[in-house]
Amino acid sequence: MAIEGQYVPVGSSDGAFGEVYDRGYQHYEGSRLGRGHAVHALTTYSMRRALGSKKSWTAKVVPALMYVAAGLMVVIPLGIRAFLDDASVVEYWDYFFSIFVVLGVFVATIAPEMLCNDRSENVLTLYFSRAITRMDYLIAKLVGTALLTLTITLVPMVVYWLGRQLLEDSPLSAMKDNAGDLWRVVVMSLVTAFYLGSVALMISSFTGRKSIAVAVIIVAFLVVSIFSLTLTEVVTDQDVLPYLAILNPLRLVGEFSYGLFGQTMEDTEFGKPLSVWAYAGAMLGTVVFCCGVMYWRYVPAD
Amino acid sequence: MTATATRIEVPHAPTPDLGLPAAESVIETRNLTKRFGGVVALDHLDLEVPRAAIGLLGPNGAGKTTLIRLLLGLSRPTSGSASVLGMDTGAEGLKIRQRVGYMPESDVLPSNATAADFVGHMAEMSGIPKVHARQRAADVLYHVGLDEERYRLIKGFSTGMKQRVKLAQAVVHDPSLVFLDEPTAGMDPSGRDAMLELILRVYRLMGMTVVLSSHILEDIERVCDYVIIINGGKLVLSGPIGKTAVDTQEIVVRINSDPQQFMDRLATYGIHEVRLATKGLVTPYPELIVGHGSDAVYDAIRDTAADLGVPLRSLRSRAHSLEEMYLNAVEAGALELESPEEQADGD
Repeated sequence: MAIEGQYVPVGSSDGAFGEVYDRGYQHYEGSRLGRGHAVHALTTYSMRRALGSKKSWTAKVVPALMYVAAGLMVVIPLGIRAFLDDASVVEYWDYFFSIFVVLGVFVATIAPEMLCNDRSENVLTLYFSRAITRMDYLIAKLVGTALLTLTITLVPMVVYWLGRQLLEDSPLSAMKDNAGDLWRVVVMSLVTAFYLGSVALMISSFTGRKSIAVAVIIVAFLVVSIFSLTLTEVVTDQDVLPYLAILNPLRLVGEFSYGLFGQTMEDTEFGKPLSVWAYAGAMLGTVVFCCGVMYWRYVPAD
Repeated sequence: MTATATRIEVPHAPTPDLGLPAAESVIETRNLTKRFGGVVALDHLDLEVPRAAIGLLGPNGAGKTTLIRLLLGLSRPTSGSASVLGMDTGAEGLKIRQRVGYMPESDVLPSNATAADFVGHMAEMSGIPKVHARQRAADVLYHVGLDEERYRLIKGFSTGMKQRVKLAQAVVHDPSLVFLDEPTAGMDPSGRDAMLELILRVYRLMGMTVVLSSHILEDIERVCDYVIIINGGKLVLSGPIGKTAVDTQEIVVRINSDPQQFMDRLATYGIHEVRLATKGLVTPYPELIVGHGSDAVYDAIRDTAADLGVPLRSLRSRAHSLEEMYLNAVEAGALELESPEEQADGD
């Protein structure tokens, strides 16, 4: 058996039937990349797995349906606008309100895929035997979840923005005039993706069972929303009411979106809105809190 | 326990120069101690282990997995220090894990992934660029005997195939040192034989230093050059296997027939000092222990087998000092409690 070097033909047939080669064992002499590469590899692999890549078709159904739903929310208004110039279309700040259920189900589906299997199947043992830290692992999972969420928030929104500009009489000048909307869409999508992603991941970090994690994430979103709405009936202090919106994921995302575009929500359950920075701070604070909890969940016992 | 080992012979390949710090010992520990609450998992362990096929032997709960975790830098010692490949486990855990492979004992594979996909992913996780990672995964899976099955989902694999995937992911990045924690656990005798042969190939053909953790003496004897025996977290023995074993002037004969008939026939050649191995592993082949004062005994065994038309499965000198030391360790360890971590890891 050849041990190193080139493959060695072990039999000859004068080319009539091909050659049989003993592959031997060859040491790896190529480049070895660092932690950054490992984190990147984990991020991309986790994203592929969460979308059901190289899994049975059933694993692909829910993400695919959510993409279709999010796509329709963009394509339908653009189609109406293409045929009816005067038709009112969904505004950017209303988009997340329109797709929040889709967004919630999507995040509730992919976040458990990111963490639960690694825990329940003990793959964590193998990951941590590689040159990554526990923080690297969590960063890869958070970035992976946020990037996937961006595919259902940012990508349709950018397509929507582009479609609206192309429907104008002068698309190029429309793009130039409405460039401000584009960066707001990007910021809105990024903050929302990390906010929802980190909450869903934090909940998923408490269990190895995907079905439980999915259920708890959806129930948690519903319960805190109902809880905050109930509190608005009880609390009469107008200074306190706006802060209750922070407890309500849908309202928080909505207030942030409206604030970013200089709009104000019409209903007044939560009183006078806070500044957009307050809502952004609340969302980013939630991300930091969730990361802290996840780190505590994954920190070594000794 | 009776040793039934037959050493597997695989030629050595040259060990590659991986540009590592020149370390005479691949593993070194000084007063290494690990406590979990009131339980002492490792107790002032002093080791200096050369590059070899190293057997880490000890009964369940001896502290083997704890030691491996400490050496990988995954756990911090309560006191003392350790180095692997010349790198300090406390300060350079990440660097160590770049150069070291690890095959855990427990089931650690994702069920809903193909072997090629997962092993390739683990190669990437070890710093190998994507394009090379796929090639390495294919090569390594070929070498562990999963060439045809590599695109099948792992959940459809047998225990032996899963163990091969675990071995493949441990060596896919061509590490200098590989820790194998109970690699034959749960395998049938033929699967165990195949796994041990694979491990020896990893050592001899791939040129990797192997640390084989096991509670089965036979596995260690078949593969390893060097043995570390620990029990209750304490070092019982550390040294080259050839030097720890003492020839007992006995021959172990493994046959494929009725042992009593074989013993009776041997008696006709004047060989009366024969007994049946009683404390052996469950094996399809009976084993006899034959005392020998001269080389004529070997001839008598050969002739007996020829007379009866019985195939000889193996024939070797019996060296029992290692075995007895291990048995003493096991018996002493029977009263020891497992540490919490060992219980969790199923060591």
